[in-house]
Amino acid sequence: MKRTLTMMMVMAVIAMMSLAASAGTISGKVSGVSGESVVYVDAIAGKTFPAPTAKPVIDQKGLVFQPHIVVVEQGTTVEFLNSDKVAHNVFWPSVGGNKKLTHNLGTWPQGEKRPFKFDNAGAVPLLCNVHPEMAGYVVVSPTPYFALTDKSGEYKIENVPDGSYTVTAWHEGAKNQSKPVAVAGDSKADFTLSK
Amino acid sequence: MDMRHPVSLFVVFVLTIILLAGSSYAIPAFSRQYGTSCSTCHVDFPKLNDFGKAFKDAGFKFPKGDEDFIKVPPLMLGAPAQKDMWPHVIFPGTIPGMPQIGLRYNQFFQYTSGNANNYYQPSGAPGTPLSPTIPRTDFEAGLFSIFMAGNFGSDIAFWVDDDISVSGLNANGALGDGYLRFGNIGRFLKLPTDALALRVGQFELDLPFTQARSINISTYDIYTQANIGSSSQNVNNQFSMADAVQGVEFSGGHQYGGYHYSLAVVNQNTGGGTVSSATNVSSPGGFFSDSNYKDIYGRFSYRFNLEKDPASRHDVQAAGATGPRDHTYLNLGTFFFKGRSVQRFNGLTSGGAADVLTAREPFYRFGGDFSFNYRTFNLFGLYMYGHDQDLLLNSGFTGFVSGTPAKFNGGFLEADYLALPWLMAILRYDHVQSTADFLNQADSGNYYSPVGTTRDRVTPGVQFLIHANIKASFEYQFRPQQALTYDANGKALNPFRTNTATGALEFVY
Ligand SMILES: [Cu+2]
Repeated sequence: MKRTLTMMMVMAVIAMMSLAASAGTISGKVSGVSGESVVYVDAIAGKTFPAPTAKPVIDQKGLVFQPHIVVVEQGTTVEFLNSDKVAHNVFWPSVGGNKKLTHNLGTWPQGEKRPFKFDNAGAVPLLCNVHPEMAGYVVVSPTPYFALTDKSGEYKIENVPDGSYTVTAWHEGAKNQSKPVAVAGDSKADFTLSK
Repeated sequence: MDMRHPVSLFVVFVLTIILLAGSSYAIPAFSRQYGTSCSTCHVDFPKLNDFGKAFKDAGFKFPKGDEDFIKVPPLMLGAPAQKDMWPHVIFPGTIPGMPQIGLRYNQFFQYTSGNANNYYQPSGAPGTPLSPTIPRTDFEAGLFSIFMAGNFGSDIAFWVDDDISVSGLNANGALGDGYLRFGNIGRFLKLPTDALALRVGQFELDLPFTQARSINISTYDIYTQANIGSSSQNVNNQFSMADAVQGVEFSGGHQYGGYHYSLAVVNQNTGGGTVSSATNVSSPGGFFSDSNYKDIYGRFSYRFNLEKDPASRHDVQAAGATGPRDHTYLNLGTFFFKGRSVQRFNGLTSGGAADVLTAREPFYRFGGDFSFNYRTFNLFGLYMYGHDQDLLLNSGFTGFVSGTPAKFNGGFLEADYLALPWLMAILRYDHVQSTADFLNQADSGNYYSPVGTTRDRVTPGVQFLIHANIKASFEYQFRPQQALTYDANGKALNPFRTNTATGALEFVY
């Protein structure tokens, strides 16, 4: 009897959680580092998302990747534009630290774009092999729940269904930090990163 | 005015403008100005990549859209709209937003083979000490240089580099290059872009392969070859191709593809390049010329970029599958230098009175060069020939008779292979053939007492970029054979090589 009751309670909680697709938020602050960071919800077991349609553009202008950091959902196609009157290149040595996923987009003329679909999650350090000082990042989030912090580290991820997740914070050159976050309405998660 | 020489006009021109000069290394100032790495313009600094060549051709500017790349905005010396008011105002220009200063320092370690002991030969009375002159190992301070370069707007570029200290001795320093370059002046004549530029000041000749900006520790032997006649010749020409010259230079074309030419009118100086201060006539900077003559240097080259795709072929850099890279190319060139060495002698008139006799010995140097590049492999070489007319005093000291001309020839072949972006392997062969050097049993460049009329040197090297601005270089020189004693027929006895291993550590910032 007791076991049945417990089972029922658990089922009820699960039912409530799934019903409570009522959108919550995760907000907080990433500290310990300066400048923009990225916070995203890690892959959720058994959960898939519709293919993303946004096609963000990363420009190479004045020998700089602009913007410096772009966060996208897994499966997003990013377009790489060269606005400079010099030749550039885009390549990355790894995706999420996996060096097997290195890729080189080659050379293309000024004004043209070259697309790439990011099917693997993780941070992608963008480099140019003719201008070694150039650096940019695509951070590929496994879920549509992600945010880029402001310069002070504040962030807010909107429309996160209530539930229990693992949330990861990423910052250029710092170690990732992941922590479990139970979302019920407006939730808080702060991170302190270190290099 | 002496109009026998068309160059007289240039002499007047040179004397009536303020001399400014310029030419040499990796320029950290440009890194700061554009916020970019050395490797944007250099492979194994100071060797330029194709983009660096285009940057230089453009007058130290990005060849297209320069203003989009400058991170430190230039300072206006006049609002651009002032142009409309000219000539009632000073034509507006700019200066770089920060001082365009770069510094370079290098130091060496040398290991000399035991054959150096061969130089310790008995001389003088028994019992008198002999001091060793060539150490087996030696740490050496190199040069500390300051260099400045940039652009003043209106396509006017500047360059000044100066060795503040050489071998640890401040007094040994000297101006390298110092010049103003008026780029693209062909636009006033409706010529194509970059077809004509004017450079005025002190500069290295537009050599096929630069000596001042060479990556090698040792100089190219042919570039430092003076032409000093043997005892039966009167030639005493200390000019060498590596010498800085003073004058004006017209140039055009591009170093990264297609044609390139230059034509320079420079001081005649065969006396060793020393500046003499005037005693009877004042000069603002001391006299550099040692005769009234002005020498001429000319160069023409054509570079065939070999990419199949025409768009890529004509671009500054070639489009590779993994990013832009240097072109695959074949560059062919030719060059000549024509001068007239002047020596004065106390002589006699036909009547027996004291007279000054002037020997005017025309000389020329000419040669050809090639450079082939495939990806990160560059094979290049140069061959040249030098010829000095020889005038000998006649027996009555009243004039000159023609003697045997003093001649030499030689060149070098070098292979540079950038195995990794930070690792350069070099193999080089130098060759000089000079009968006079052998007869004199002495020569410039420390190749003293050659065993024959030819000197051959093989120099493998390797260079590591520790950072983009710090370099460790190593070079081993299989030096030419030398001798200290000769038999009655002039044949060298006990020839030996004084090979050396040299390491260099240098940085620029
Ligand atoms: Cu780039």
